[in-house]
Amino acid sequence: MTESHESNTGAAPLLEARGLSKDYGSTRALDSLDLAIAPGEVYCLLGPNGAGKTTTINLFLGFVAPSAGQALVAGLNVSTHDRESKRRLAYIPEQVMLYRNLSGIENLEYFAALGGQGSLGRERLVEILVEAGLDGEATGRRVSTYSKGMRQKVGIAIAIAKEADALLLDEPTSGLDPTASSEFSALVERLRNRGVAVLMATHDLFRAKDTGTRVGIMRYGRLVTELSTAEIGHADLERVYLEHVSDNGGP
Amino acid sequence: MTARTVLKNEWRLLMADRPLKIALGLFVVLLGYALTNGVVWLRFQERTVEATTSGNVERAAALQQELEAIEAGGQPSSPFADPRSPRVLGGPSGSHTAVLAPGPLTALAIGQSDLLPYYYDVNIYTNEASFQQNGEIENPLNLMVGRFDLAFAVVYLLPLLVLALSFNVLSEEREQGTLALTLSQPVSARSVVTMKLAFRALVVAGIVLGVSLLGALATGGFGSPGRILLWSVTVVAYSLFWFALAAWVNALGRSSAWNATVLVGAWLVLVVVLPAAINAAAGLLHPLPSRVEMVTAQREASNDAVNRRSELLARYLEDHPEMAEGVVADEPGLGALSWAATDAVNGRLEEVAAEHDARRTEQTALVRRYRFLSPALLAQEALLDAAGTGDARFADFQSQVREFAEQWREFFVPAIMADEQMNAGVLADVPTFSLADGDSADLARRATAPLAVLAGLLALIGAAAGVGLGRVRGAD
Repeated sequence: MTESHESNTGAAPLLEARGLSKDYGSTRALDSLDLAIAPGEVYCLLGPNGAGKTTTINLFLGFVAPSAGQALVAGLNVSTHDRESKRRLAYIPEQVMLYRNLSGIENLEYFAALGGQGSLGRERLVEILVEAGLDGEATGRRVSTYSKGMRQKVGIAIAIAKEADALLLDEPTSGLDPTASSEFSALVERLRNRGVAVLMATHDLFRAKDTGTRVGIMRYGRLVTELSTAEIGHADLERVYLEHVSDNGGP
Repeated sequence: MTARTVLKNEWRLLMADRPLKIALGLFVVLLGYALTNGVVWLRFQERTVEATTSGNVERAAALQQELEAIEAGGQPSSPFADPRSPRVLGGPSGSHTAVLAPGPLTALAIGQSDLLPYYYDVNIYTNEASFQQNGEIENPLNLMVGRFDLAFAVVYLLPLLVLALSFNVLSEEREQGTLALTLSQPVSARSVVTMKLAFRALVVAGIVLGVSLLGALATGGFGSPGRILLWSVTVVAYSLFWFALAAWVNALGRSSAWNATVLVGAWLVLVVVLPAAINAAAGLLHPLPSRVEMVTAQREASNDAVNRRSELLARYLEDHPEMAEGVVADEPGLGALSWAATDAVNGRLEEVAAEHDARRTEQTALVRRYRFLSPALLAQEALLDAAGTGDARFADFQSQVREFAEQWREFFVPAIMADEQMNAGVLADVPTFSLADGDSADLARRATAPLAVLAGLLALIGAAAGVGLGRVRGAD
């Protein structure tokens, strides 16, 4: 266990990167990332493909080992406290893939139980799925009949059921229609209001400005700038983003 | 919690997977067919054994009746089959059938019992040629693959079912995208895959053991709990070996198609190619003498013996001085001359048979040495031994029949040499055959090596799979 730095809100951060780096052979995918996300914060990582956004999320999940530095969840070093840190985390990937032959309820029951929530009971499971935005009628249907948006909602339901302190989202609205995307953002907003710390990798500048409290722009594995969404407009964010990702400079 | 959660989910996935349910149903039907085959064979063997046993009694009773009638002043039914002659009473018409009763779990594994003789008519003319009429004497491994019985289904088909259930146990999760969501929970890939495979192993072993126990129950096999235990342990260890292999291949992180190709290849090599290669090597390195040689030797020895009966008798009496007293030296009886010729033929046959047996022993030794390369051979050996239809019990039976034939000769030959007549009173003293089956300690001793090697292979591959799965992360 490591003593945590304070985030810019003053509270102890739930997600923290300290000099976090990841090399794949001779390629540096993430370069000395320092980051702290407090409870109730939504931190959006922006950047082109290969900027290091997904690598950052994978490092927090323990899916890859850091080459240097530390990824901390609620002060726990992910490398040395794999299970304890995962108990505090929920993760929604770009495509929430579930067991197609099982229903939404059965999928939620399985992943919630794996997450350590025990047996929640059918009524509570349906309640959570509905809270996540799924139609009550759809909860008992096989997931093979679900749209991508519906699967993303089951992903949110899994996060809600887990009562996680921190949420990692990897381009969660990619491929969703505007309505589904908006509904998804509203759900993230609700989780944020409950004090969940959210780290979201996204290409969607509008959604980042709308949902995020802070935005970090990455390029070639480096966090090149950080902005507070309260202090900038959509147009400003787009301009700053393009400034940082459109130049010809290399790593 | 993880164990119960994964097991429950696996049950749901199984129930929701129609092709898998059909495959399992088909497997159950095949096991049922295999068991039926076993029971049909068992009943047939039981009927034969009953017929031969009652044949012994009826033959003895008929001889007794005829001898008593002759002693009361009657005539023998045929002048060439006078039961007072020890050559007749100890010959084919008075022979005793030595029977190998069906193994306690024959219904589960017919094994070699339908290929090798399970009864011999023993009389004074029983010789090595009688023991070589086995139908199949050239190929120790061909003997191992017989009818479609439960043992066959376990050795050949069970691995295919195991592989069908587990070739994509991890790769499918990766390919359909559920692995990342699973491993974002506080669980390891190793524990999840282990529980998934444990569920499938329970299903497979449950089905096989269920059908096996049903077969044992229906055919009285529960009288041999040690054998049932050996059967069950072998089935479980063999199933787990294939599950461990599937886990290891999955841990290598390749696609489901690659896993399937490698695992089917492994099945082909371990279950089909290796046993065939060992078989071929045994035949090439230690070829058996031709059976024609045995027949030719018998004919040549018979012709020679007939021409040189007096000389052979003299040599026989030199070898058996205890018999000399009863033989009239200058005018020996037909019986003594005939027996001397028979003994000479037997001696020549023993020489040929010894050569055959030596080659066969070398073949068997080679097969036994290299059987450790194939878990299928190890499992087959243990299953047949558990059922009492393996090579060991048959060899033991044949050895006891040889001893019995020797006792039989010892009873009748002195009377033949002395040209004595038999009477009804001697019938009670004529030897009878009773098989002394090995005890459970023998069975345990024989089963130790194949099971220990199977367990060793399982531990080795299981450990490799454990290490490989321990390295699996969500972002492979």
